[in-house]
Amino acid sequence: MKTSRQRWILCGFALLALVLGSRAQSWAQDVTYDEILHSASHPQDWLTYGGNYASQRFSELKQVNTENVKDLKIQWVYQLKHQGIFESSPIVADGIMYVTEPPTTVTALDVRTGKPIWRWSAPLPPNLLTIGLFPTNRGVAILDDTVYVATIDAHLVALDAKTGAVKWTSEIGKNSQSVAITQAPLAIDGKIIVGMGGGEGGLRGYIDAYDAKDGHRLWRLYTIPTTGEPGVETWEGDSYKYGGATTWNTGAYDPETNTLFWGTGNPAPDWNGDARKGDNLYSCSLLAIDADTGKMKWYFQFSPHETHDWDAAEPPILIDAKIDGKMRKLVVQADRNAFYYVLDRETGKFIAGKAYAKQTWAQGLDANGRPIELPNNQPTTKGNLIYPSITGSVNWTSSSYSPLTGLVYVDTREQGAYYFKGHPEMEPNNPHDIGGGGGQKAVLGDAAYSAIRALDATTGERKWQFKMVGDSWTGTLVTAGNLVFCADAGGNFFALNAETGEPLWHIQLGNSVRANPITYEVDGKQYVEAAAGNSVFVFSLP
Amino acid sequence: MNAHHRLLWIALSALAFLAWTSPISAQIGPAAPPPHSAHPTPTPQSLAEGKALFEGTCAGCHGIDGSGANGPNIRGVGKDLGPEGIYSVIYGGGAIGSGMPAFSSLGEQKIWLLVNYVSSFGEPGGGAATGDPAKGKEVYDASGCSNCHMIGSQGGDSGPDLSQIGGVRSVGFLHDALLDPGANLPQSDASLQERTSYPSYTMYRVVMKDGKVIEGMRLDEDSFTLQLRDAKGQLHSINKLDASKIEVLPDKSFMPSYKDKLTETQLNDLVAYLASLGAGR
Repeated sequence: MKTSRQRWILCGFALLALVLGSRAQSWAQDVTYDEILHSASHPQDWLTYGGNYASQRFSELKQVNTENVKDLKIQWVYQLKHQGIFESSPIVADGIMYVTEPPTTVTALDVRTGKPIWRWSAPLPPNLLTIGLFPTNRGVAILDDTVYVATIDAHLVALDAKTGAVKWTSEIGKNSQSVAITQAPLAIDGKIIVGMGGGEGGLRGYIDAYDAKDGHRLWRLYTIPTTGEPGVETWEGDSYKYGGATTWNTGAYDPETNTLFWGTGNPAPDWNGDARKGDNLYSCSLLAIDADTGKMKWYFQFSPHETHDWDAAEPPILIDAKIDGKMRKLVVQADRNAFYYVLDRETGKFIAGKAYAKQTWAQGLDANGRPIELPNNQPTTKGNLIYPSITGSVNWTSSSYSPLTGLVYVDTREQGAYYFKGHPEMEPNNPHDIGGGGGQKAVLGDAAYSAIRALDATTGERKWQFKMVGDSWTGTLVTAGNLVFCADAGGNFFALNAETGEPLWHIQLGNSVRANPITYEVDGKQYVEAAAGNSVFVFSLP
Repeated sequence: MNAHHRLLWIALSALAFLAWTSPISAQIGPAAPPPHSAHPTPTPQSLAEGKALFEGTCAGCHGIDGSGANGPNIRGVGKDLGPEGIYSVIYGGGAIGSGMPAFSSLGEQKIWLLVNYVSSFGEPGGGAATGDPAKGKEVYDASGCSNCHMIGSQGGDSGPDLSQIGGVRSVGFLHDALLDPGANLPQSDASLQERTSYPSYTMYRVVMKDGKVIEGMRLDEDSFTLQLRDAKGQLHSINKLDASKIEVLPDKSFMPSYKDKLTETQLNDLVAYLASLGAGR
């Protein structure tokens, strides 16, 4: 028999459920900055590309756990109206899932049924330029009553979250000069942060902040210094003018210090660095940026004078953890160059680093984290076998971090490539002479594989791995249910025990999953989402 | 561009846009090239310019020698598509989802440089057969190849279909595969983008947890399952978690070696016959 106190508590829960339920059913579409800020205590939604500002892709939801994950079942499937390379990681807010279809279409789905509520497609020029990237889109940002999407032809568009009506549009760059955008923007307090891609087209990279209300540009930070600025001496001649270093993937944000953390891409031309001797700052780097002013606070370059296309565009992860017994504010990154890095996020100082995948280009990292390069690690005219391949040990897919296990989960690729050096053919801001300066021939066959690797977040030491057949392009999600979700190249979406790597559940979805999975909760039920082929699949317990 | 100008731009371009394509997804599909100059005859100078342009523009996806990297092997497309066909692909891009962008902005002069350079790759893998294809067909028929291989609609299906083999394999590969099939297993269908390009026909030996042993060649594999076909043609669908041991048998194949079964002349004739199949694809 329940006591009076218990009855009151039950009534309270029932009322809360009613309030939450009615709020979701009414489709309020009003996501405040404060809600995003405290997304950890609001796990029923998925409010930013990385799940929270720290880009941890960790969810506090634990209804689905190691005991019952074997019972997960498909609840609904949404098939895209626009076919293509589908790499979207949705936002879920107030009963609606916002998913992007290639090349730039935003579709709002009823999160209970998968039925479309509205759809908006970007008007695109017939001579769209997408150099060195697929014409796709990886997701939207949401703030207050507005959804923000960056289009493949380099515009930032604000859409009414209820209707999909365009509120404003701002040009981020000239697509006619090869600027193209695939990333999800990041919404912070009153600002929309977005980078750009297309570095093979002879560009100088940058990252922008726009006013969330009217779309006017608040600041722009170029990722390559110009004449008179420190760092320009790291580029030979005038190569700094078209050296790439784009900002093509979504970064992280530390609200406490008002700092953005954003990775930069390769210097251009890719495989022939003869005309750009020097370290080529700030390519292949992590930048810490003052979110109010756009000023760079510090940088850390992973791969100086890079010649293998190893962009540092992987989403960085912000964590607080103990180093030598003392709590530290850290930023960690499993880089495309096969090394895992732990940095002090207040200073950029290198703390630890270790190879997490096979690499044959460096002896290791020195005390400052700079690679100690091996001889003969450069592309040659006849081809030079180097690990990793140009797609890297990880590419744009996100790693995740669980504060419960202290592990970072990396969807790792093991593959080498013969790197070739060609002619640079690079001209300033001229996409008609795009220049890669060579190429690669990847090593195929069974020797090339993928693995989910669980790394100690503060050291990079491998705790376990789950090997996969083929070339996985998924990224990981980790939950408080102690589950890591990912997928293999063969179409298996699966869950692993986050502590041991033991496979606990899998389902064949009929095509590869090329997007970071997410999780959310509706009406008291946890759902897990995966985008396979040209479809969105949503799972829950029966 | 501010919101007002952007909307104006949209409005002004609406007619042209609608004329351009419907539905919207066709925007990333191939666009037919407008009238352009006639195919120029290649010269050593233009081939050198085309080579430099190719290495800077195309090699990242198609490999420095056109034999493929992230993008497909394009050696042999000169024969497949002809100059105008290659021009169309470079101008308008590959099929939707192929990932190949349109390079219309290169302008026709540079597109022609690329067309001529790409056409100069010749046969996939290079090299020409030296044998007599007609005699090679006799060797094919007499050696029992059709028990396992199909040409047109004739033959067995446990080995690769050879109907187009001359268009996709080099003479050297065919020669080596006949002598040592296990060491020269073909790659799987590169058009299956969801699958990594691993060798097909690899032989496996699997011991199940109940003690059952299965030996066969791989038809497909992912992280949780393995599909094998045994020597009798029986399909085995294996849940890897139910197996106690999964072993690859390197350099083994159901196909026997013809090293000591054919003379050098017969071998060359057979290679010439195979190389002639699908050569005009």
